[in-house]
Amino acid sequence: MTFGKERKIAGWLLSAPLLILLAGLLVWPMYLGFQTSMTHDILSDFETYPVGLENYKNLLMEPNFWSAIRFTLMFAFTASIVELILGFALALMFDRVFPGKKILFSLMLIPIMIAPSLMAVMFRLILNENIGVIPGFLKIIGSSYSIFDQNNIFLSLIVLDVIQFTAFTFLLTYSALQNMPSEIYEAAAIDGANKRQTLFRITMPILKPALAIVFLLRILDSIRTFDSIYILTGGGPGTSTQTVGIYIYKTAFIYGDFGLAASAAIVLVFILAPFMPFIIKQFNLGTERSK
Amino acid sequence: MRLKKTSIALATALSLVVGLAVLPNANAATTVKMVLWPGPEGDAMQKVVDAYNSSQGKKDGVNVKMILLSRDNTFAKEAALMKAKSSEYDIYFTASYLVGQHAPYLSDLKGVKDSLYLKASVNSLKVAGKQKALPLDTSLHFMYYRKDLISSLSANAAKYTSIAKTVLGKDLKPNTDPATWTWDDALATAAYFTQKYNPESPTKYGYALPAKNLLYNTMIWNDVLWGLGGNWLKNGKPNLNTPTGKAAIDVYNTIYTKGLTSPDSSQWEYAETNAALTSGNAAIALQWNAAYSELSTTGATKDQVGIAPPPGKGQRTHVHALAVGLNKFSKNQAASAKWMAHLATVPAMRTYATAGGVPSMPTILKGMVSKNASFANVIEYAGKFGYSASAGPREFDIYAALAEVLSPAWSGQKTSADVAAAADEAIKKLQK
Repeated sequence: MTFGKERKIAGWLLSAPLLILLAGLLVWPMYLGFQTSMTHDILSDFETYPVGLENYKNLLMEPNFWSAIRFTLMFAFTASIVELILGFALALMFDRVFPGKKILFSLMLIPIMIAPSLMAVMFRLILNENIGVIPGFLKIIGSSYSIFDQNNIFLSLIVLDVIQFTAFTFLLTYSALQNMPSEIYEAAAIDGANKRQTLFRITMPILKPALAIVFLLRILDSIRTFDSIYILTGGGPGTSTQTVGIYIYKTAFIYGDFGLAASAAIVLVFILAPFMPFIIKQFNLGTERSK
Repeated sequence: MRLKKTSIALATALSLVVGLAVLPNANAATTVKMVLWPGPEGDAMQKVVDAYNSSQGKKDGVNVKMILLSRDNTFAKEAALMKAKSSEYDIYFTASYLVGQHAPYLSDLKGVKDSLYLKASVNSLKVAGKQKALPLDTSLHFMYYRKDLISSLSANAAKYTSIAKTVLGKDLKPNTDPATWTWDDALATAAYFTQKYNPESPTKYGYALPAKNLLYNTMIWNDVLWGLGGNWLKNGKPNLNTPTGKAAIDVYNTIYTKGLTSPDSSQWEYAETNAALTSGNAAIALQWNAAYSELSTTGATKDQVGIAPPPGKGQRTHVHALAVGLNKFSKNQAASAKWMAHLATVPAMRTYATAGGVPSMPTILKGMVSKNASFANVIEYAGKFGYSASAGPREFDIYAALAEVLSPAWSGQKTSADVAAAADEAIKKLQK
């Protein structure tokens, strides 16, 4: 046996426990999900039987599913863009020494330590028109702005997501900034580059892979948003704030249609899958540059 | 040789110990696992369980263990267990609006004495004439109003009539007896107590409207539909795309679009409706009977909250019962049946009521009126006005689908004409 072949076998053997674990935790449930998606599996019907691609056909003809996809993508892209810009701006602000930096840094991270569902419950109380602090403050300054009015609800949900997850983009972009070699900035300063030029021609191009990864991670996470919106709006009025996650939950656990819900979950996987090569590519790019 | 004897003795002793440990104990009690949700019902039931385990349970050879799943997702978790035909829990938590969906997974209950219970509650747990679950707490709706405000209406009759004409386009006179209100009376009163139309109103809005896309809000809206003489179904066919169905949708639409409720009420449910009343921001609301204890003791409604049946010529209130049913796949059917039989007795339900539950037994509720005055209304309204949708196995789904289809009209995004046909279509789809 050649050395290369031995290395290959050893590699597989050493990876085997992890691969088996992955198969048990990911592949098997996905297989079961796929199997369910091919069956008539409704809670109020005792019998379960195979229906082939019927659930997929019904799903693709379901207007509520498409409106959920549309809302989810709109929500995910808007929230992620705002969070990336704010997170990066904060990282730049923190990339210098100033009094109280450590305390402020710790405070910045509090929102991501809170579970989204708990955060949503807190917001429901804080923003309640009758007993909430924020509407009380708005009343004092003479504003009649209604946070949960149907015309303002999208903006309100985006703001709440930004409050919770900007800390995530801030933390990752700040870590990336810390890895920037100081020599580059020194050289730029000697060449007479101003702050704007340094930011747009040096910092951002070098951080591009990191920023792309952060953005894509947020997109993936936002697409899976469920608990906060479910608690605040239940997906309504109507289906106007229904995410794909809420659609799947309601289909399975309110309408009791596990087959249709499983098919929607599989379709969601296919929607998310194309993002992965981009993330991996950007991750590899970042790793190569850091070598 | 001596070592060998010692070894044999040790091995024998060990075998005896192991053997005794694994042999079934003739006196051991069978453990019955029952699901309930946390909160007042779970707390109250724990007292009944403790009392049973320490006395009757010993005679029955049954030990009940209660499992409290989360309040929000108990039914979701149960749905997964039922579909998997699990025997993990012996007794499931269910409700009138879910029993049709759960029925295939529940054993029929025998020997339940209907006469002990509120008729509307016990009947709402029958599927195809068979009792599928045992009633616990009964829920229905009251029209809550501020007694201090409503009594002031007659002194301002001219203003009331003028506001009613402006907002509703109708000639109406104040009606200070909410028990006889039509929906026009309720809307005119709400308009009168809205500062937009009456700057001197002590409340900012006249009405607190729970208009969130939530199936429990459909249950409240049903009272409007029934009060106007409508129903989901007529001869088994969807019946919302009709003048009565649209009129019921228009009641909510008018409240929202005319500004008689807060713009935020498009996202309101139980808690927000209570907050609007207790904070003094709203004067009236159709709300669950459970709210009485908070409303009668808190804020602006303290000692001022009045109770009336839902408005309408054919006054009706949705009634449902929380309940427990026996898992068809339980391996402890006999033991579970013993516990359920105990749970169906007056003493067990009295313990439940004393610990904070609202059992569906009128004799017990009557005895508790001094502690909660609304119990008298629960008994009266359940008998006089109580009604269940009874739309079959997918009743729960229809509630959810109607909330989804109707909530845009409730909150003024769409009109009744836009959603009525879609509501019928949603019902039709779920009837298949």
